Amino acid sequence: MEMTLFDLWVLTRAASISLLLALASIAFGTALALLLTPLAFAPWRIARILYRLYVFVVRGTPVLLLALLVFYALAAYWGRISPYAAGVVVLTLYLGALFAEVFRGGVLAIPRPLWDLSKSLGLPRLSILRRVVSPLVARYTLPPYLNVCVMAVKASSVLSIISVWELTFASREIIERTLDVYRVLGVAALLYFLMCFAIDRLGRRLESRLAAKGFAGERL
Amino acid sequence: MIEIRGLRKSFGGMAVLNGIDLSIGAGEIVALIGRSGCGKTTLLRCINFLEDYDAGEIKLDGEVLWYRQLETGERRRYAERDLARQRQRMGIVFQQFNLFPHMTALENVCLGPRFGQRLPAAATEARARELLARVGLADRLHSYPAHLSGGQQQRVAIARALAMKPQVLLLDEITSALDPELVAEVEDVIRALTQEGIAMVLVTHAMSFAREIAHRIAYLAEGQIAELGKPQDILDRPRDPGLQDFLRRIR
Repeated sequence: MEMTLFDLWVLTRAASISLLLALASIAFGTALALLLTPLAFAPWRIARILYRLYVFVVRGTPVLLLALLVFYALAAYWGRISPYAAGVVVLTLYLGALFAEVFRGGVLAIPRPLWDLSKSLGLPRLSILRRVVSPLVARYTLPPYLNVCVMAVKASSVLSIISVWELTFASREIIERTLDVYRVLGVAALLYFLMCFAIDRLGRRLESRLAAKGFAGERL
Repeated sequence: MIEIRGLRKSFGGMAVLNGIDLSIGAGEIVALIGRSGCGKTTLLRCINFLEDYDAGEIKLDGEVLWYRQLETGERRRYAERDLARQRQRMGIVFQQFNLFPHMTALENVCLGPRFGQRLPAAATEARARELLARVGLADRLHSYPAHLSGGQQQRVAIARALAMKPQVLLLDEITSALDPELVAEVEDVIRALTQEGIAMVLVTHAMSFAREIAHRIAYLAEGQIAELGKPQDILDRPRDPGLQDFLRRIR
């Protein structure tokens, strides 16, 4: 049996759920990373160790395993929970670690004289963070940040394991019913590609905006 | 005006500054010369407390900077806010990466007065425009650093240091990273400043420029001031054998 036009519509709906999951996790993950990255530069050793431990554990665990772990742990604690909520939590934890490392790299890329000058100009800490560090890190890390965003879209497919109805889950349903394996998977792959492509285009747009501001990146 | 007494600093057991004593008068220009690794850049950084030091004291107009002495004889760093206020009394320019790349020339110059000294925006901007005009960049106010030449970038950096109305300007090899034809435009700006009586401490390898503008030259070796005197005496009649050798090598 071939997949129908209705199945195609179902797949695009499922894709929009994948995209929503990814976007929500990107937003929460970025927020989490903004809390995590400062720990890596904190004057207290315990904070730096906590940061390293978090990144090490989360990055060192397959997302699939992380998904099962979080889902069962949350379920054990709260009883029945929405797999969608659990899914966003999983991806947030995962992306938080990746984004935090991206931002940490951005902070490390700031040339030393700029730190010294910020101090020498007598800028208070908050002003250094707001006027110097944040804008520079945002510019330095745009390409790797978008890279992780693209990964987020693809990582959302893992959530089918905890019965989140998204693109991969829906594809499997339709395949089981129609046995039209290649066409269904082909459409799913195309939809994933389009979502990633959209993020990539958005990134290029932002990058060229920065380049117009004399911030092409080749020169610090 | 600046008085440095018994300054010592070591990096991981290696003494970099080994008891520096140096006084700099109001409006005086002192050049620091010496081999690489002799401690001249570290000394400059210590003066602005971008580097902490192990012992000794630095005074500005009689006020002891950076550390306060406790009754027990120990010393304690000032709070960040006080350090910031003290640092603002000096302007510093480095060899490179002086400008914040995400800000225009004008924004770079305004940054310190606006957010460090918390002066009103309008007055800050007017003064920044004036300073940039003085270093010959009135037509590049809204250019980003990436669109400025190395010499222009250094001139913006000098304007930015001046924007804080500092009592002393600290210059760390500010022409060393420039193409030869751009050195002159930066030196011209510094030369013009000597007419205004602002004190300067400059680390430099440009001996003829040091001879021209410095009132005194200090030769550093192994973390100490090995010889200090008028430019003619230091450069033409050096007594220290190390200095004699150093001058022979760079000529």
